[in-house]
Amino acid sequence: MAAIPGGVLTVPPRPFFQSQWQTWGVIFIAPYVLVFLAFVLYPVSYGLWLARHPESYVKLFADPIFFRTAVNTLIFLLVAVNLKFLLALWLSGFFVHDRPWVRWMSVLFLLPWAVPSIPTIFSIRFMFNPEWGVINSVIFRLTALDGPNWLNDPVIGLGLAMLTHIWKSLPFWTLILIAGRLAIPREQYEAASVDGASAWQKFKFVTWPSLRTLYLSSTILSMIFTLGDFNSVYLLTGGGPADLTHVLATLGIRYIRLDQVDLAMATIVCAMPLVLPLVWFMMKSLSRPAP
Amino acid sequence: MKRKYWNEAVLVLLAVPILLWTLIPIYHLFLFSISSKDSAFSGALWPDHPTLRGFGTIARQEHFYLHHFWIQIWNSLWIAVAVGVLTLAIATSAAFAISRLKVKGGRTVMNLALFTYFIPAAFLAIPMYKAMGVYGLLNNRWSLVLAMVTLAAPYAIWVLKQASDKLPFELDEAARIDGATPLQLFRLVYLPLMTPSMVAIGTYALLLAWNEYLYGYLLLSHEQTITLAVALGHFIAADDSPWELLMATGLVYALPPAAIYYAFRRYMVSGLTSGAVKA
Amino acid sequence: MASVTFDSIFKSFGSTKILHGISLDIADGEFMVLVGPSGCGKSTLLRMLAGLEEISSGHVAIDGRVVNDIESKDRDIAMVFQSYALYPHMTVRENMGFSLRLRNESRKITEQRVDNAARILNLTNFLGRYPRELSGGQRQRVAMGRAIVRDPKVFLFDEPLSNLDAKLRVAMRAEIKALHQRLKTTTVYVTHDQVEAMTMADRIAVMNDGRIEQLGRPLELYDRPANLFVAQFIGSPAMNVFDGVLKNNLVHGLGTQWPIPAGTTAVEGQMLKYGIRPEHLELAAAGVAAEVVVVEPMGAETEFLVKVQEQAFTVVSHGRAAAGPGDKVFLWPAAQNAHLFDAASGLRIQ
Repeated sequence: MAAIPGGVLTVPPRPFFQSQWQTWGVIFIAPYVLVFLAFVLYPVSYGLWLARHPESYVKLFADPIFFRTAVNTLIFLLVAVNLKFLLALWLSGFFVHDRPWVRWMSVLFLLPWAVPSIPTIFSIRFMFNPEWGVINSVIFRLTALDGPNWLNDPVIGLGLAMLTHIWKSLPFWTLILIAGRLAIPREQYEAASVDGASAWQKFKFVTWPSLRTLYLSSTILSMIFTLGDFNSVYLLTGGGPADLTHVLATLGIRYIRLDQVDLAMATIVCAMPLVLPLVWFMMKSLSRPAP
Repeated sequence: MKRKYWNEAVLVLLAVPILLWTLIPIYHLFLFSISSKDSAFSGALWPDHPTLRGFGTIARQEHFYLHHFWIQIWNSLWIAVAVGVLTLAIATSAAFAISRLKVKGGRTVMNLALFTYFIPAAFLAIPMYKAMGVYGLLNNRWSLVLAMVTLAAPYAIWVLKQASDKLPFELDEAARIDGATPLQLFRLVYLPLMTPSMVAIGTYALLLAWNEYLYGYLLLSHEQTITLAVALGHFIAADDSPWELLMATGLVYALPPAAIYYAFRRYMVSGLTSGAVKA
Repeated sequence: MASVTFDSIFKSFGSTKILHGISLDIADGEFMVLVGPSGCGKSTLLRMLAGLEEISSGHVAIDGRVVNDIESKDRDIAMVFQSYALYPHMTVRENMGFSLRLRNESRKITEQRVDNAARILNLTNFLGRYPRELSGGQRQRVAMGRAIVRDPKVFLFDEPLSNLDAKLRVAMRAEIKALHQRLKTTTVYVTHDQVEAMTMADRIAVMNDGRIEQLGRPLELYDRPANLFVAQFIGSPAMNVFDGVLKNNLVHGLGTQWPIPAGTTAVEGQMLKYGIRPEHLELAAAGVAAEVVVVEPMGAETEFLVKVQEQAFTVVSHGRAAAGPGDKVFLWPAAQNAHLFDAASGLRIQ
């Protein structure tokens, strides 16, 4: 019934005219793809290729500080990150209180995250200087005794590095958990109140079920980020005393500065048993549909 | 009623340790930088003779560690601005291609981009350092710019894509019918509507670059090319460095990001947390 | 101005078939309405004409020129979207002049044509405003102004009134119709609202499930629906339909007998669907016994919801209610206006 006037029935073959838009799409995305290829894919592949020699690993394992470093890293991940998240979970509960002064406080609270690491971490470092730091000065003035050796003690040093790490990144993760708490519908709490739930029961039956996925995936992501945290250790203890407070991040960079690239890359490869399961968990929790 | 007051009292009591924990290192930094050399370590809440002399010394570059202060702060600024602009350009156009032009493979590119963050930053720095050597960019400020763009872009693309997904697709269709080419759509419709998100993301990238230490420390080494952050790191090399000058310089270095953060805090906070919770 | 031709259009998304061979000729200057329930493919068809949707097979022609592989902007069409799709960062003037600006039209001509369109649509006082400062009806008019300024061969409307409230919808309906009578531009108008279709169209294509169920003038569709779907889709309140069997020139159904129109070709013993519009049932002193369930007085007319056995019927009568809920009444069907459909195929029996 519908005849094309003139009988023009030849249609130009595909590509359909939208291919022009696809071409532009490729042009628009190309700059990032180039950045990714040049500064992520190529370096990583090249780095892994550099790490192919077994002798590097023999040399690395022979370095007396390597195992200490691996243990330090593990402690850092398990203790610092979990402590940080417990604090963040608790603090997010504090900051969701809707008061003007709490809102102002949350602005102040974000400062450690907003300002650069270097001056603040040096400030902490000086506070804990055993000879002239503020803390030992105060201890001396109060008790007439010398304070602890702080950063010159490997155990306390690592502990302080962990606290520094927490101080620096706690605000960010608290912010994430605050957003998570604010996304919980208010009615759920009101319903729980009507049902006579206590504060703890509200947390257990309303907050935690909604927050759990976010909490766990944030913890894992934070562990990955923490593995790459160079500043908290390097700027505070420099890896000392006697290279006893290194973590894998600072150790790798130390090898680079000593021009031992193969050892640096071997260090990274040795961290893979830590990184890969975390990434795997992360991918799994990201690909799962939201409950 | 009684219960309510009690609740408020607990809140205030909790606020005190939280504030102390947050502010002591920053206050200490401030205090140190306005103290003279000998009174800096006393533990007093306020120095006996507060002085701004340190800042004058810095401005006049009157110390061995500070001979290149102005050029170094200029480097920091130049690099931060370059990273902000370049990240915005690259990420906005990528988000446009993925979200509006629906380029084939766009989602894969974005997932790969986000995969960058699964490589711990200090670990990526090592092969990146090698690659920059291969490209002949070591000790060139472009190496730091490109490295920071690499780190900032995935997040920027992700946020901008989410923001641009919220623009109604019919706008694009209307523009197409009105006769817009992809380039005109980008310039005349997309960019004006994305401006608020772009301000937030540009600021984010700029701060990221300004605050960065590790990559600068690895990629730049010449006195004239290093950023202020790297220069501050050099102080610590000696045992008898002028700590109060270090702290004063640190304060100068920390103030711009703090100020920008306060100016843009609403944007930054909502932008940062937008992706965290699936609405 | 131009004619539009759809020639055996198929469309599938993956394995889902959306359109199963649509052919439709739209005459020069005609106001064609595509109407149907959501998901029937009417919007897809329109978007193919607009060049926003790929055509799986078949041809679309505007003014005799196949446009399958021609970009939207070169098809010489203008489209009004359901959401209006006004550019939020441009003033009304900039919105309306955008297409001319893209064509590098001179400033003077652009201004002239925008002013002209604004006059037609009573938008002259709003040219400096931004879309967010306008009411829904004003935005709707700006969207139309944007289309008019281009002076296209074909206007496309995609559910343009569904975002407006009921009162404004009626007003805009008249405005669009008046605009068409003034400009006489070929128009393709998509809606799910059969009232809009009836009131605005020169011709209506009723679509369902990727097919055109019937094509015709509004009252043709109303008086002689080609099948059950059209019968029940067109008309408000909807046609009453029930099952029956033809015996001795009467339809036996619901435990009673119903008269049929003279000259029907239905055969003795045929299973039928019997359809009768609410205004063709009369509350009378004799006829089919029924019980009133609900009475809805509208003023000029009254709607009764009645029950014959368990089957609900709608009856519309002029004037005020003569019966209340629970009353026993009798329905008198106007035999000449009854519709018969084959029970198996759903097709109209003449």
